[in-house]
Amino acid sequence: MTLAAQTAAEPEEARSIVIERLISAPRELVFSAFTTAEHLAHWWGPTGFSITTFAFEFQVGGVWRFVMHGPDGRDYQNRLVFETIEPPARILSRHGGDDDGLELASHETRVTLEPEGDKTRLTWQVVFVSIAERDRIAREYGAVEGGQQTVGRLADYVGGLG
Amino acid sequence: MPDHLSVTLSALADPTRRAILARLALGEATVGELARPFAMSGPAVTKHLNVLEKAGLIRRGRDAQRRPCRLEAARLKEAAEYLVGFRQFFEGSLDRLEDYLQELQKKD
Repeated sequence: MTLAAQTAAEPEEARSIVIERLISAPRELVFSAFTTAEHLAHWWGPTGFSITTFAFEFQVGGVWRFVMHGPDGRDYQNRLVFETIEPPARILSRHGGDDDGLELASHETRVTLEPEGDKTRLTWQVVFVSIAERDRIAREYGAVEGGQQTVGRLADYVGGLG
Repeated sequence: MPDHLSVTLSALADPTRRAILARLALGEATVGELARPFAMSGPAVTKHLNVLEKAGLIRRGRDAQRRPCRLEAARLKEAAEYLVGFRQFFEGSLDRLEDYLQELQKKD
């Protein structure tokens, strides 16, 4: 099956990951945290990660080229193209590319910001080309985080599954 | 070719089996003890236990009379890491984003 045919066969929600959070900051400020390499360096990736940016152009068609340094010492090459920018509400970008040494990830990221009183509802949706691709990425990132899991949290998790 | 993670995840894709695992997270139990909270026969529970055992999620004792079931944490841990890993990446980023925005707001 071609990739396109495979993608068409899989509903979007089945190959997505969606994270939602209410953030105690005005929407303009939350939006600005996504708009410069300096801001992004402060928070992109969980604790233990850091990034080095080589290129950053916050405009439609602009590229963010960076390396993520994992807590395990591994480097993750990243390239992201901004596809839609609607301040202060929406940023759509596409991850991946065919440069040498890049992670073979290809997914679309949709960040949506909605005001809720003096707070902001952030929705972060990552849409992968296929369920297999999502699972491959999940496995790799899961391995990075793996060392921090404990059996105690696991028991909570299993309890929550039922 | 079903790798063992796929087998584990497929075993977890059933609410009764997840409930059995949740019970076993509290300590070992016999088939009879596991069957009690569900409106299920012993053989029906045994069927689920066979799936869980094949997936490496539980182990059954040698004692022929009781054969108590025990949670096999390693395999479950692997599956849980896989399921939560990528999500944690984003949750972790958002934790840091919130801290950073707090800092920015204090400066103003």
